[in-house]
Order: sequence, then C-alpha cells, then structure tokens
Amino acid sequence: MTEPTNAVLPRGVTQEEFAEALEKFRAVLGDANVLVRSEQLVPYNKIMMPVENAAHAPSAALTATTVEQIQEIVKICNAHRIPVYPISTGRNFGYGSAAPVQRGQIILDLKKMNKIIKIDAEMCYALVEPGVTYGQLYNYIQENKLPVMLSFSAPSAIAGPVGNTMDRGVGYTPYGEHFMMQCGMEVVLANGDVYRTGMGGVPGSNTWQIFKWGYGPTLDGMFTQANYGICTKMGFWLMPKPPVFKPFEVIFENEEDIVEIVDLLRPLRMSGTIPNSVVIASTLWEAGSAHLTRAQYVSEPGHTPDSVIRQMQKDTGMGAWNLYAALYGTREQVDVNWKIVTDAFRKLGKGRIVTQEEAGDKQPFKYRAELMSGVPNLQEFGLYNWRGGGGSMWFAPVSEARGSECRKQAALAKRILHKHGLDYVAEFIVAPRDMHHVIDVLYNRTDAEETRRADACFNELLDEFEKEGYAVYRVNTRFQERVARSYGPVKRDVEHAIKRALDPNNVLAPGRCGIDLDSYRKS
Amino acid sequence: MTFDRRSMLKGMALLGVASPFLGSALPALAAAGLPAPALPTSILLSAGAADSAFVQGAHASIGASAVSVFQASIELDFMQDFEQQLHRGQAQRVIGLLDDALATPLLAVARSAGASVPWLGQHTATAGLSRHRVLTADMADGCVGQLHRQLLACGAGFTLNDERHDNRVIATELSGPSRSPGHLDQWAAAIGFLLASLVSGKPGTPPLFPAGRGSPIGSFVSFAIVA
Repeated sequence: MTEPTNAVLPRGVTQEEFAEALEKFRAVLGDANVLVRSEQLVPYNKIMMPVENAAHAPSAALTATTVEQIQEIVKICNAHRIPVYPISTGRNFGYGSAAPVQRGQIILDLKKMNKIIKIDAEMCYALVEPGVTYGQLYNYIQENKLPVMLSFSAPSAIAGPVGNTMDRGVGYTPYGEHFMMQCGMEVVLANGDVYRTGMGGVPGSNTWQIFKWGYGPTLDGMFTQANYGICTKMGFWLMPKPPVFKPFEVIFENEEDIVEIVDLLRPLRMSGTIPNSVVIASTLWEAGSAHLTRAQYVSEPGHTPDSVIRQMQKDTGMGAWNLYAALYGTREQVDVNWKIVTDAFRKLGKGRIVTQEEAGDKQPFKYRAELMSGVPNLQEFGLYNWRGGGGSMWFAPVSEARGSECRKQAALAKRILHKHGLDYVAEFIVAPRDMHHVIDVLYNRTDAEETRRADACFNELLDEFEKEGYAVYRVNTRFQERVARSYGPVKRDVEHAIKRALDPNNVLAPGRCGIDLDSYRKS
Repeated sequence: MTFDRRSMLKGMALLGVASPFLGSALPALAAAGLPAPALPTSILLSAGAADSAFVQGAHASIGASAVSVFQASIELDFMQDFEQQLHRGQAQRVIGLLDDALATPLLAVARSAGASVPWLGQHTATAGLSRHRVLTADMADGCVGQLHRQLLACGAGFTLNDERHDNRVIATELSGPSRSPGHLDQWAAAIGFLLASLVSGKPGTPPLFPAGRGSPIGSFVSFAIVA
C-alpha cells in the first residue's frame, strides 16, 4: 500500500519509518483499526486547553481488541521508537480529553475492549476491560437486578471505571475514592510482558479481586497517573445497595460559612456518620449545573461580580455554598444518623436543610442525588454553557479538611481568577481528612485574548498555590510537566529511574505526568 | 437516522417552530434545482436563535426533503440512542449546531462509535461580532475559505481561526470589520449550507440569505459527523 505523506509524525520519526510501522500495525489489527485519515483523527483532537489543537494532534489512532494485540503493538512501537498514548474511553474533558500529551503520538484507543468480565454480586466486585463504561455497567446491573451500586464521576454514563481510576478520579458515594476501591490490575508492560498485580500472579487464585496486597511490593499505584504500562483489566469493589438512601442538601448563604461547614463535616465524615464523598458547591458551579448561563445575568466581559452572584442566590434560592450528602443503610441506621446530622446543623444555627421530598425533581438536587446513589446522568455538562466557548481546565488543589484552609484556598483562587477576568466555579469534594478543591477554569476558546488570559491564569494559580505549599492532585496534559515539578526533584528522579527500567525506549505515553526520558534531565 | 419516539416528537416540535420562518426562502432555492444527497442527513440542534438560520442554510444546500431535523437532549436516553444509531454500521451523515453542554458529550460519543468528523467548529456570537474557531480535515477542504468569504460578504465583524488537523502547526487567523451588523445571523446559515454540502459531497457556494428573525447570540459548536 502506498502511504500518503503524513504531516503529523511522532517526535524524531521519519515518514518512511512511520509508514513501515503503520504497515505492521495493519498486519496485527487489520486496516479498519489503524486510523490515519484526518477526518478520523479530528475527533481525537478535540481539546479544551488554551493551546492550538496542533500541539496535541495525534499521528494515528489504533483500536485493539485483545491483550495479545497490545503486546504486538508495543513491540512494534519499540522497534520503530513510536510513542503510544493509551486511552480507555478518553472522557477526561477538563483534565485533557482523548488527545495525546505530545503532538505526533499515536493513540491506542481501548474502547473495543469493553467486556464486563465478571460481576460477583455476593462478594461485591467487578472485573472489567478498559473500554467498559459506567453506563454499560449500570445497564448490566439493572438488567440483572444485582444488589450492588456504582460510584462514578460526574460524566458518569459515558466515562469508565478503568480510565477514571487510573487517573485517580473520585465519585460521590461511600466508595467515591476510586483508587482505594480498586483491587487487581492486569498491565501490559513496554516489553510486552503481562503483569497482574496483587493475587493475580497466583495460578488458580480466586482472590485477585478480593485481596489487594498480595505478597512483596504492592505496585498498583505505580501504574496510576503514570506511563509504565497499559492497563488491560481492572478489578474494583462494588458497594452493596443499601435498603435506605437519604440524600439531602444544606444551603448556606455566605461565602465565609465555608469555615464552619467544613469543621462541622469533618467529624461526621471521620466517624462515618456521613459515609459518602460530600460535595460543597459554589454558587456558580450550582448555576452552571442547573443550566443557567452567565449571559442571562451579565453581558460585560470579565468575571461575574459578587453583586450579581448575590442576586442569583436571591432569584434562585441557591446558596453561596451548597452541600450535598447522603445517608445509607437500614431504616434504623439512617434514622439515627439523620438525627445526629440535623442536630449538628441545628446547633450550628446556620444552613437550610433540603430533603429529597422537598426538592422533588428540581435541579441540581436531582442529579446530585442520582450521582450519590449510582444513577448516571449528564446534567453537569451544563457547566460548559455557563460561559460557553469550549474552554475548560480543572484546577484541583488538595486541601486539608479544615475550614480555615478551605477559606484560604477559595479566597486565593477567586482573587487570581478575577484578576484574569474569569469566574470562581468550584466545588469541594470532602473526604474525612482531605478535600479535592475542584475549580473549573471556564473560558472562551474562540476569543484569542481570553484564551491567553486563561493560560496565564492557570499558570498563576499553580505558582501562587505552590508558594502556600499546595499542589494539585491531577491536571490536564498541557500542565503535567509543570505540576510534576511541584512535587520535587527526588520524586522525579525516582519516577524516571523506574521509567528507564521498565520502558527504556520511552514509547509509552512519554510526557504523561511529566515522565519523559527524552526531555528530563536529572537535577 | 431514526431516534426513539420521544426524540422524534421533540424534532417535530422543533420543525413546527422553524418551518414558518423557512417558508419564505425555500421556494426560490428549490427552483434553483438543488440536488438531493445520496445518503440520509440528520440535523441535530439545541433550542436557540441560531437554529433556524442553520437549518435554512442546510436546506438551501441539499433541499428540505433530504434532511431530518432533531432536537438534541442532555438526557442519557438521547445520547444512548445516538450512540446506538452510529454503531449500527449504516452509512449516515449528521450535521448540527449545538450548545457546549450538548456538543461535548455528543462528540465524545461519536468518536467512540468510530465516526469521522471532518468539521468541528466553535462559535461565539455577540451583538456586533462573531468569533469562529474551526478544526477541519481533508474532506472539508475549501469550506473554511468559503466561510471566510461569506463572513466578509455579509459585513458583520468577525474573527476566524482556521486550523487543519494534519498540515498546519500554526492556525490561520482571519478577521473582518463590522460594516453591517444586521447580517449577523449569516454565519449560522452559511455553516449550515457548507456542512450540508460537505456531507452530501455536492460542493456549492452559500448564497446571501434573507435576514433572519433574530440574532443568534451565544456560544455554539458546529460539526459534521460521517458514519
């Protein structure tokens, strides 16, 4: 076959070399699974970051269906030094979408590896391939009337557990810390070996999805937010469906209330009285999720003034902070915990409690309740209409679950965003000890000047938070190298030593999370 | 393409709104003897002022009878129906103009279903200016140039960022001054025309459309999906 000239090439690879590699990929996968035409690649190149799409343009995309094919692919990649960027469902949106971290990398799209290998409703676990979506799992659980419940992030139905967990994403149920609930992985290494973590290496073992640690070093975490292997199977625990589920919202009027909210919540989370990943959403996150748009309230460019936000609160009944939580268990357990929770808020003397009975089908309560009970929906995509224009970057610093810290972070972020004419659209996701402070930096990609401001804003957020000892837990591909630097040189040296050992040709997603043998120089 | 009954009903409701507006322009266009496309073409829209102009443009390219208009929805049922349709393996063409909340998951679903996307545009329109950022593939060769000419001809102020997936590292920035803000809705009609022409394989030059009833103000995503 005559290969047309390909304008997007992997770094350091010639046309001839690339054409030869493509021929080998075709031999392994068949023509239909080697995508090189530009109209096939455009959908992989939709980004939400403040750079040209060209910076993240793939040179090709491959779709595989078996582990053996992936073993062959990595061998070809090694032979021709072709960098390969694996994706499961590619639904990372504000953390980087499906586009590769560097221009020219080929995408290995695992969407066709979408088998639900096993769901054990008695032991409450699942084993799935990377292309499985939460929507697919939800349908399976419903159709088979299984007494288990899923936990997922807000894009829910169209995202998948492998991608989300490998990026250490979170959900909103008691099983919301997804990596904590992961149990057993199968990983194709750069040399083609297939490595199973935990108990997975023991022939005949039936505890791969039961016992996480196995024997000796436990390496599962090493493969998350990294580029040391390609995850081809993953196990994770499922929560038994509780007989009673009671979602509720507590609405707070003032920004300063965040201090008391968090300090009240912490002991309730630590004791397990409130078991799920609680969310505390700002007014504008709430507004976007309810599909309100900025244009409905203000036409001037720049950030939305506080006076307008207060007016929105008045008009809609939304709070400055809107806390969503749920209780799970038997009727008796829920009743006892409900009394503890309501007593605590009553004692605080602040916060208006809204129950499901009171909220009815009102948004955003409805979608929040669904997320906390493992029912998928797409409601939160409404955030992208708040400002419009297709720009979104999730800035997600970790905070102590301490009120004063949350107030400090919120004020710092708001000041920087407003300086750059952008809005503070944020939620805190509350674990017992930490908070994921997730800020959606929304901006208009059709406006070149606003796009430059968004880029400058994100850099300043990273810089200023770092000065205070804060760092993000996850970031989009444009800023991964920058964020890796926040965590210090020794960590980076170790990460690159591991990379040299496992992937000496640097073919697996070089640049992901700042790990790249070609560009990294030991400090 | 067919969607479930609920989506179909929504689509019919949408057409009910759009048809009276389109009526004035279509007879003249039909008289021009425009050919029908070989493959079924669906138009997906979200409720908004740009919708009518977009449909008007598409009809002008390939005729009203050759397209079905559907209102997209953020409901999971709609996205799952859409994905299933693309997975059925029948050749089909979908063009549309959606808001960001709808377009973001819909295009992700289209990618997973293996569809090609020769045109992906991001558009913002304010009272006196429209901004466009377009990512295109080989199949859409010439379309951005036509859009540029149309934007210049209609006289409303604009910026146009043109990025080809496979042969330019740096995007081309184009712009034009505002001379006639009354024609601001031309961009939506022109894109409807160009995308319908693109997926039908029948290239044409968009005409200057009669002024619409309202200005399409807001943020939109245009796309052509070929499955």
